[in-house]
Amino acid sequence: MRGGRAFGRAAGWTLMMGLGGALSAATWTVSPEGPHSGLKAVLSAAAPHDSIRVLAGTYAEGTVTIDRPLTLLGVGGPVIDGGAQGHVLVITAPQVTVQGLVITGTLVSNLQDNAGIHVDGVDDVRIVDNELRNCFFAVHLSNVRRALISGNRILGDPATPETRRANGIHLWRCTDAVVQGNLADHHRDGIYFEFVTGSRIEGNTCRGNLRYGLHFMFSHRDDYADNEFVDNGAGVAVMFSHSIRMTGNRFLHNRGGSAYGLLLKEINDSELRGNTFTDNTTGLMVDGCNRVHAEGNTFRSNGWALRLFSNATGCTIAGNSFIGNTFDVSTNGDLMLNTLAANYWDRHLGYDLDRDGHGDVPYRPVGFFALLVERIPYAIIFSRSLFVTLLDQAERVIPSLSPAALKDDRPLMRPPHG
Amino acid sequence: MTMGKVLYYTLVDLARNRSVLAFAALLFVVAEGLFLVEGEAVKAVLSLVQVVLALVPLVALVFTVVYTYGAQEFTQLLAVQPIGRSAILGGRMLALGLSFLVALLFGLGLPLTVHAPGATSLVLLVAAVLLAWVFLALGTLIALVNRDRARGVGTALAAWAGAVLVYDALLMTLLFAFSDRPVEPFVLPVAALNPIDLARIAVTIQVDLAAMMGYSGAVYKKFLGSGPGIATALAFMLLWVAWPTVLSFRVFRSKDL
Repeated sequence: MRGGRAFGRAAGWTLMMGLGGALSAATWTVSPEGPHSGLKAVLSAAAPHDSIRVLAGTYAEGTVTIDRPLTLLGVGGPVIDGGAQGHVLVITAPQVTVQGLVITGTLVSNLQDNAGIHVDGVDDVRIVDNELRNCFFAVHLSNVRRALISGNRILGDPATPETRRANGIHLWRCTDAVVQGNLADHHRDGIYFEFVTGSRIEGNTCRGNLRYGLHFMFSHRDDYADNEFVDNGAGVAVMFSHSIRMTGNRFLHNRGGSAYGLLLKEINDSELRGNTFTDNTTGLMVDGCNRVHAEGNTFRSNGWALRLFSNATGCTIAGNSFIGNTFDVSTNGDLMLNTLAANYWDRHLGYDLDRDGHGDVPYRPVGFFALLVERIPYAIIFSRSLFVTLLDQAERVIPSLSPAALKDDRPLMRPPHG
Repeated sequence: MTMGKVLYYTLVDLARNRSVLAFAALLFVVAEGLFLVEGEAVKAVLSLVQVVLALVPLVALVFTVVYTYGAQEFTQLLAVQPIGRSAILGGRMLALGLSFLVALLFGLGLPLTVHAPGATSLVLLVAAVLLAWVFLALGTLIALVNRDRARGVGTALAAWAGAVLVYDALLMTLLFAFSDRPVEPFVLPVAALNPIDLARIAVTIQVDLAAMMGYSGAVYKKFLGSGPGIATALAFMLLWVAWPTVLSFRVFRSKDL
């Protein structure tokens, strides 16, 4: 909703600009064949609220700055090549639209955050349907309100080493942003937020990024819906934020010793609904979170489906499905102040005499082996040994090591969905 | 030539005996049942791993021991003929090895190929066949060394429990005791000294990939996933087939039948 409002506002601005512009705005056409062949020349000649059509061709004019409210519309995929001089496109005016361009040629720097599209301190910017190839930072926004970043293809080079990579979509101190339907691959972080509030992130795909698919900190009241995070080095890590809603996202194939489908650290008062965690080393890790509500998520074929640390309090894990994971739940201590309720566990062997769809005896998802591996990681090689299986069953029947509170009193007999 | 005849008649006898046939049928029913009950092939394979790792060594070991004792009179009869003792034992062990191979190919290989074709199934099948051979050789040795039948069966059961349970229990106790020391590099090699553990690790490293990739699992995966690693594992399993076989021949050659 919040995101929708932001989008509505952004759309409203454009509409007003369109109406206002219709009276006075001119449309310019830039083309390698002329008459206007220089992008910079047209940008400095254009009046506020003019439109500039950029026809196919390559425009290598170094760093290009848009310093007045304009619409820059690429036709047939014109290439804006920054020639490795710094940023490629710098937007210093509000209400700028950049659409349909191919942007490449940022300078890789350890001192400056050079970006394909760099926006600082101006509002109502729209960055739509562009392709950003091998940029250092691709889209870099700071101090921007009501930005729309939609349908961009942000492509990195898998061969680039980490020291020469930066983030795909990088937002710093922004509010009411809408980030939707973008693809970000082979950067450092696919999407990076810091101090970004009231924003909506929807339908994006982050793939093959070296560090995180999505990384946010201190970013409150944001919605993340229907995004896909695949094959990222460390999966998704989100920290130090509250009032987050994550729904219908897919966390896939994030593999490695410290890789997580989703790592929640110090996340408070947030919701996870209908997400799927598939084939990750750790599906969901909950570390130091308070009042996180996870419902209707599916954990399938992960190494550890859920690692719920003792320092988390007041979290509820309800109505989720745990299917085919090596470990369903593991924890690191004796204290458990969270609730597991009415989940479906494929290892649950209980019975349901009263036919209410819930098992009649509590199910304890933490086995002896999960606790052992938590303490001695390389004991993993005993996985599926007969001895371990027997001990696991013994621990479930007569728990002596696992926290007494870590149990599901009403385990579902069938998966709640699908 | 004479060994071929012993092989032939033992095979005929094994076919009449029907125990191996029953074992094949049991495996087939268990495998089919698991694939039927578990919605997903991966889960069925995982359940199968545990069945196979416990059941195949047990059946191979106990059946070989019982069969060897049962064939005592036949062995005596053969031994008075102009047939070398190596031919007698060789023919019999080959027959047992072949019949278990066929039983596993049918009882395990068929369901696996139909429901879950792939690398994991292949590794599981190869591991099962090698395990059967290992415990067949061990069973022969145990039966030859112990003249008393009850003692032989008891030793076989103890050997099975030792390999499938006690070894892991001891190793895990040691792991706990030395958990504050850098014992990590030794865990896999020491575990792999036990053929059942080696087979289990070879299969689970295929299946539990996601978890294995974490921490030290990556090291194991790297080794057992590589050409030299696979060759080492295979060679080690064959070594486990070889040493009881060689010892059996040595014992049998000078045994007072």
